[in-house]
Amino acid sequence: MKAVNESENEKRLLFLSFYPDLMNLYGGYANLLILRRLMERLGRAVTVREITPGETPDLSDLSQADFVFMGAGTERRQKFAMDDFIRYSDLIKNLAADDTPMLFSGNSMELCGKNITTADGEIYHGIGLAGFETVQRARRITGDVYGYMNHIPGDSENTAETPYRIQIVGFMNKSGIISGVETPLLNILDMGFGNEFEKGPEGFQIKNIIGSELTGPILVKNPCILEKIAAAIFTRRGLPLPDEWPIDPWARNGYDVTVRELDARCHKR
Amino acid sequence: MRVFLAILVCKLGRFVGKLIGKGSSMPGKAALKICPDILKRLKLPEKIIAVTGSNGKTSTVEMIAAILRADGKNVIYNQEGSNQTEGVTTLLLANSDWRGRVNADILLLESDERYAARTFAYFHPTHFVITNLYRDQLTRNGHPESVYNALLPAIAPDTELILNADDPLSSCFGRGRENAVYFGLDRCDISADQPTGVYHDGAYCPVCGHEMKYQYAHYNHIGAYACANCGHAKPETDFTGTDLNLKTGVLEIDNSIKINLAFRSIYNVYNILAAYAVCRRVGVGADVIANTIGNYILKNGRMRTFYLGARHGVLLTSKHENSIAYDTNLRYIAGLDKPCVVLVIVDAVSRKYFTSETSWLWDIDFDLLNQAHIKNIILSGRYCNDLAERFVYTSIPADKWRVMESIPEAALELRREESPETSGEPEELYVVTCFSDRDKFLIHTEKEKERDKNQEWNQESNQELRQGEKAS
Repeated sequence: MKAVNESENEKRLLFLSFYPDLMNLYGGYANLLILRRLMERLGRAVTVREITPGETPDLSDLSQADFVFMGAGTERRQKFAMDDFIRYSDLIKNLAADDTPMLFSGNSMELCGKNITTADGEIYHGIGLAGFETVQRARRITGDVYGYMNHIPGDSENTAETPYRIQIVGFMNKSGIISGVETPLLNILDMGFGNEFEKGPEGFQIKNIIGSELTGPILVKNPCILEKIAAAIFTRRGLPLPDEWPIDPWARNGYDVTVRELDARCHKR
Repeated sequence: MRVFLAILVCKLGRFVGKLIGKGSSMPGKAALKICPDILKRLKLPEKIIAVTGSNGKTSTVEMIAAILRADGKNVIYNQEGSNQTEGVTTLLLANSDWRGRVNADILLLESDERYAARTFAYFHPTHFVITNLYRDQLTRNGHPESVYNALLPAIAPDTELILNADDPLSSCFGRGRENAVYFGLDRCDISADQPTGVYHDGAYCPVCGHEMKYQYAHYNHIGAYACANCGHAKPETDFTGTDLNLKTGVLEIDNSIKINLAFRSIYNVYNILAAYAVCRRVGVGADVIANTIGNYILKNGRMRTFYLGARHGVLLTSKHENSIAYDTNLRYIAGLDKPCVVLVIVDAVSRKYFTSETSWLWDIDFDLLNQAHIKNIILSGRYCNDLAERFVYTSIPADKWRVMESIPEAALELRREESPETSGEPEELYVVTCFSDRDKFLIHTEKEKERDKNQEWNQESNQELRQGEKAS
């Protein structure tokens, strides 16, 4: 953890948004909006630095990042993103080692692994943040996902002894089968396709990095993941955590409704 | 013998189906069981027109059929059935003689974009219209490029393509082909300099992934794009909307013919351009097309007028999961000038399949509703919280919108409300919702007295629902 000092605390937060118009499927941008708004409600100013393919930014600026985000793209756009993102391998790995929170949602998660084999058999190298591999198929996997996240450190009601309590909701829209994930985000699914198989573990988490094939505004739909990332940002900056995160009741109620609907669907109530 | 049996079963099934008011895909399904390659064994008309794409299929097909009939052609098309293989089989067998000869000059098919490859495995169209490829129905379609990939095998080398030049993705079908023609709209009053909307699907070239530049955009990412890297750009159009004024409702095509728009929507313009292009390609004169479209009463099943107590209202059917179509309806409300109120309902996301997915709400440009003449907005239905959270992130002042989960209560509230601004006369109500939810609201309304006098509301509604099913 970084040393706590006032000037550090007062510094604006820097969010990196990779390829916002390229990896832009189904409202993924809302993850940044809601996280930024949450930080601002707690008095923290945020700069969002959008990174476009082909640009050559000053990497020392980017290395100050407090949060990194990339959303989902079509399979072709994912490869265009991959060609560019490989240049940032070291930056991302260094930020990861420094406990920087990151969210790779949808098939941007696949870029973090060792490699991606396309449906045509072409192989693309990932940035190797984790050791998993992706094999894409022509047939897509789409549908709702209802699963359970690992316990959150510091949550007294949800300890390692009583895991699987936090329900996660979302939507899967992928073509990749992912093998070799050692630390999944969701331990078990009641509905939907995991990394490798139906109802199997989904996504990955390493240090403060979350990867999940769930697409769209997963931080809007799951206030618990939003809190997890916000807490990681605050902790890394040495800031005290608020008693309660100022998240809109709409988001919390919306989550409850979706949990109710998916739970009823799973258990045929 | 199997052919005969399949035709017999299909014709019988169709007859019984009509009697009991059942859909049109079952007879075709039965025929395909008896003779799986029945479609290959038929003697089809010389000209076969297919229409596919994310939006506008049904309206375009209806318009093409009207034009061809006005030109004296005997045309058959799947006007009441499903647009998948079974429905097409029913249509063909119901219109064939006992030896499998289909009685028509032109076969016109609305084709589901995901199932076209299956439908056209045994025969293929001579002319294939692709209207556009947008984000639509996530569970079925994934994303527009996966629809593109699914459609590719449906296109035979000798099929002539009639493509939307202004859509950077569907125009790709014509790359490297001699037999592709394009329709499109020149820069006109409605054009913006840059794409509009929440997301920008034209930002990067669908061919090479490099940045694309726009000269203008008519709506969202539909317009004149160009990639400096690989040269993918809006192709030169063969059939062109040379001028358009949506306020006066006049579309000019090829600098020569003028069409009065029955429905002043940019969507209608593109449907007309597509219909015009393909009809010209099968030999219909420009004057016949202009006369037909000029007199054509658009069956606009998507728009319903009603009374809710003293309040008059319009329901704009807006497909969930289809943000570009949804934006078009919001733009319509934004373009009005009289004071109004808006009710947005998301209760069931889809009526075809189960999903709780609401991420598409973030693809919709709800900021369009931030207008002085829109007095207030009610968000309703099971997913009203998701809608509300989406509205938190718009520029619409928080005191202008409120949440009422229950649709009946929202209807009751709107019935009660009196408007101070219009001396007691309630403002017009615009309801924005999908096929999946609209009857949940309409049951609380009275049909407009002047219209539909002799029609039972439910009958019409059912018919439109079937139309909608075909369309989506």
